[in-house]
Amino acid sequence: MTTVFQAIQSRHRAVRSLAMAVPLLLGSVGAWSAVPGITGNATGSTAAAPTFALVAAPSRLTQPDGSALYSWGYGCASGSSPTFVPFAPGASNGANLGCPTMQVPGPTLIVKEGATVTVTLTNNLPSVAGNTSILFPGFAVTASGGVAGTNTNEAVPCAAGSATCAAVTYTFTATKPGTYAYYSGTQSDLQIDMGLFGAVIVLPAATQSNPNAAGTPVPCKTGPYSLAANAYDHPQTCYDREYLFQWHEMSGPLHSAIESQVSACAAKNGVGCTPASGVVEPYRPNYFMINGRSMPDDMDGSYLAQYPNQPYNGNPHMHPGEVVLMRTIGQGRIQHPFHFHGNHARTIARDGNLLLAATDNAPVSGTLAGGVIQPMNRVAGPLYYTIATTSGQTLDTLFTWTAKGLNWDVYGHAQNVNAAGAGFPQGPTATGNAAVDPFPCYADITGHYTVDSTPPAVFPAFDASGNLTAGSPNYGEYCADHNKPIPVTPPDPAVVATGQWYSGTPYLGIQAATPNPLAPTFAKQVSTGGYAYMWHSHDEREITTNNVFPGGMMMMLIIDPPTAFIDETQ
Amino acid sequence: MSLRHLLTPFAALLALSVSLQAAAQSFLVQCPDVSSTGTGTALHPYAKAAALATRNVPGYPAAVAGNIKCQQVVGTDGYATMADGNQIYMFGFGPGSGLDLLSLGLPGTQTAADFNGAAYVPAGAAGGVPQGSFNSPYFADGLTPDPSYNKNLPTNRNAGIYDPSQLMNWGVLSANQPAPLIAIDEDDELFLTLSNVGMIMRPDLFEQHTIHFHGYPNASSYFDGVPDDSVAIAIAGSMTYYYTAPDAGTYFWHCHITPPEHLQMGMVGQLYVRPRQNRTPASTTVANPSCATMTLSSGAVVQDILCSAPPVPGATATTAPVLYTQPAVPQKFAYNDGDGSTRYDVEYPIQMMGFDPNFHYVGMTFNPEDFAGMKDKYYLLSGRGYPDTVADVTPGAVDASGNPDAQTGTQSTAASDGLARPSQPLPSHIVINRSTGGQTRALLRLSNLSVTELSTLGTIGVPMTVVGWNARMLRDLAGNNLAYNTNSITIGGGESADVILDVSDSAYAACTAAAPCTFFLYSPQLDHLVNDAENFGGMMTEILVQ
Repeated sequence: MTTVFQAIQSRHRAVRSLAMAVPLLLGSVGAWSAVPGITGNATGSTAAAPTFALVAAPSRLTQPDGSALYSWGYGCASGSSPTFVPFAPGASNGANLGCPTMQVPGPTLIVKEGATVTVTLTNNLPSVAGNTSILFPGFAVTASGGVAGTNTNEAVPCAAGSATCAAVTYTFTATKPGTYAYYSGTQSDLQIDMGLFGAVIVLPAATQSNPNAAGTPVPCKTGPYSLAANAYDHPQTCYDREYLFQWHEMSGPLHSAIESQVSACAAKNGVGCTPASGVVEPYRPNYFMINGRSMPDDMDGSYLAQYPNQPYNGNPHMHPGEVVLMRTIGQGRIQHPFHFHGNHARTIARDGNLLLAATDNAPVSGTLAGGVIQPMNRVAGPLYYTIATTSGQTLDTLFTWTAKGLNWDVYGHAQNVNAAGAGFPQGPTATGNAAVDPFPCYADITGHYTVDSTPPAVFPAFDASGNLTAGSPNYGEYCADHNKPIPVTPPDPAVVATGQWYSGTPYLGIQAATPNPLAPTFAKQVSTGGYAYMWHSHDEREITTNNVFPGGMMMMLIIDPPTAFIDETQ
Repeated sequence: MSLRHLLTPFAALLALSVSLQAAAQSFLVQCPDVSSTGTGTALHPYAKAAALATRNVPGYPAAVAGNIKCQQVVGTDGYATMADGNQIYMFGFGPGSGLDLLSLGLPGTQTAADFNGAAYVPAGAAGGVPQGSFNSPYFADGLTPDPSYNKNLPTNRNAGIYDPSQLMNWGVLSANQPAPLIAIDEDDELFLTLSNVGMIMRPDLFEQHTIHFHGYPNASSYFDGVPDDSVAIAIAGSMTYYYTAPDAGTYFWHCHITPPEHLQMGMVGQLYVRPRQNRTPASTTVANPSCATMTLSSGAVVQDILCSAPPVPGATATTAPVLYTQPAVPQKFAYNDGDGSTRYDVEYPIQMMGFDPNFHYVGMTFNPEDFAGMKDKYYLLSGRGYPDTVADVTPGAVDASGNPDAQTGTQSTAASDGLARPSQPLPSHIVINRSTGGQTRALLRLSNLSVTELSTLGTIGVPMTVVGWNARMLRDLAGNNLAYNTNSITIGGGESADVILDVSDSAYAACTAAAPCTFFLYSPQLDHLVNDAENFGGMMTEILVQ
């Protein structure tokens, strides 16, 4: 009997955990993220020569199981007042919360191609932690100040109460665009697990163009929350939306052991302390995080006050047909196979190195950093549905989704009128046939309903408050599947369980929301009626938080209907 | 035997518990029996619209058209036999159609006509075999009489099981490792029904199940099988999943309920899509694959960044692309390569998997589960550890009654009711009949569904050529072939790869039926070569060239 009871308790624990998550999420429905970061100190920085004043310090990380995990992280030095992109943290979050003195991951440093970057690091870790440093793999770094270490110059801990600390300075040129990791080069087996890592993003110098159906080059659009129009100086790297995912794990017992050593040393007033050390092998991590947060916290907003040391989230959104740039970094000691539901993604670069075909008979026209236009071989990276997130490696991939080829209308257009969709012509709408189809789908040369269709679809536009001002509700639809009914009889609603990210119908978008079989009180996480896809570690034991499922390395991609505004700042 | 009779009332109890909210059971098997031209009778009102869709493939002869394919699986539990002789408890999927095909290690996917019974006549019409004419004199062990056997109907153990009582009789405790094999052709439509017959050894759980088609391109969230963003089917219910097959490749499938638990416990299966190039008639030149285009937000029209089969370029920008002509004896390919570079003679789907016996013990005994501490100790290829991996299926093995012999035809395990059922039907013994059958190339469809760690597979004696990764041909957007040779390949959970073993080299000419050569496919992570405490086994199999 005891064992049965324990099993039930165990299951209730999981349910409770999910229930606990709901109020948090409900409080911030519509929490999105983009790639928030900083471009340098407000004073002394220029686009060509940005400076960053970082500090390494201890603090605690909030976990959904209620624990506050003692950790170390990089942060912005007090008073450095960095500039935020692509949006500033909300004023309600309080002074300097946008870049606290300790955060995990460390501040995302966003610079321009060719810039001379200067990073100073001050060591505010407890004295038993010893020295610390930063490595910037992929760049030729000049280090000055501090003391010589094994890998680079290191910053020694500031004496307790000392007002002046000797900082170490790293300088490098951001020679090529891309996504890069940075992390501690001192006692890395311990310090990286403790949280000392972050990312550098180098934006390309030249905006690219691609030919339209008439062959005229048109420049790539910069999305409202994008850092740039294209990821590299190459026309096949244009994107509409971007997200940075840093995958890493932590061992709770290891962090507790280190905290005990820090406390013991403090009790002795720092006299006779031995350097911090813990059992780093065998490695038994029990917290698995994306951008410093475990599910469901990662799907909450960025820069929120309830996560004072974890400003970044993991909460991708997109519209059908948009191109999403995924910047993925393996920051942990072990690999976490990142499986993204929904579609494949094309790899465009590894460790900031653009992957191009060795030979190409039909190269595309691209713009070099200096502005010279010339033929460029096409992209050569593989297609993935799972990224291995190799330790220390960055991978940039492009993802998109249109529902093309499903052989049924995911918008459920005809089913809004009657279940069988009777009376509505299936497939692409004939020109001028709007009278018989209230939501026409005119196919462009690629088969989709876009600005290139005849008559053209209206690209959705929004005012400053996020209200739709104009736009076709099925912008980007694949017209061959238009008005086709779903080919199976759905199961009896009495024998199915529905999830909180389920909109209540098999269809995408608000036009499918009525009639909706779900009770009005049902907690729906996707208020737009969008499709949700789980993006998670496929080492499935890692979608747990300290042994409780669900949790850990899990987030949801939301594909919102075309006319729903995606506000990445909330 | 006596335990066997406990099953039916127990199963009825399970069904009853759901019937509090639904009427009795809601099993509903859907396989529209409509020809590709839209003729025939639809089984339900929506089927015909789907079937009427044009299946002719642009650039291909009319004969190269897709079909409606059907398969049924049940969500259940059961037992498997590890290579050290120990039995292990599983949550798993069992067959709900194609029982003979699956017990011989073949895909259970069939045309609608075969699924519904060849002599199928619509309900209400006279003279036909009832819908789902599954009919077997004996249960899976070939000994125990099946009370629902109708001696007036032909024996047919491949038809879909429509009858709810038969679904319970055959489905309970029928879990396979890996789950029933699914194989479809590009341009097919697949109606895949999941019927949840409950997990009789864990009546406390009331678990729902789903099917996640892992890696399926442009998936809809509704058929993606994630319970959080879709629907999951409860005990005594069915859900029919619908998929087209737009891109060839090696995928896989699994349940997505509480993944660290249901996957570790065994709800993982194999799935692949064969390219339409396979159906090219003899002596016909293959239509060149081409990339679709996509419209960017700027209005620009560009090559689809996710293009799965960029054409092989000609010598210059103005010369025609490379084309492949199907010889008089049609060949098989992993992808629509257009140049024959992924051709193979024989294929082996191999799923890399691990079982943690402690977790499985906890899974059977109602104890709290340890996710973070999960550690596999049985390392498996398609559900078996070495040397079981090379225990071949005996094709066509039958018992005294003429039924497929579950004891010698496949690997079976006796469950808690004393009844032996096929549990691990798939050997991984790679046989290349070089001198006897003219075979030179074996395609390994590798997938990894371990939920704990990455695994490496290496070969001794035969180099590997990696032609596909994550169900996509290795080719850049300019059409250059990026396949590479290697002696080892590392795959994480949730990844797949297509590897060709090529023994055309004259060095293998000495390998004959009289003097066969044996090589090895094994994990060079030597701790994976164990069957729990038994220290020689695990993730290894043999490559036989003869």
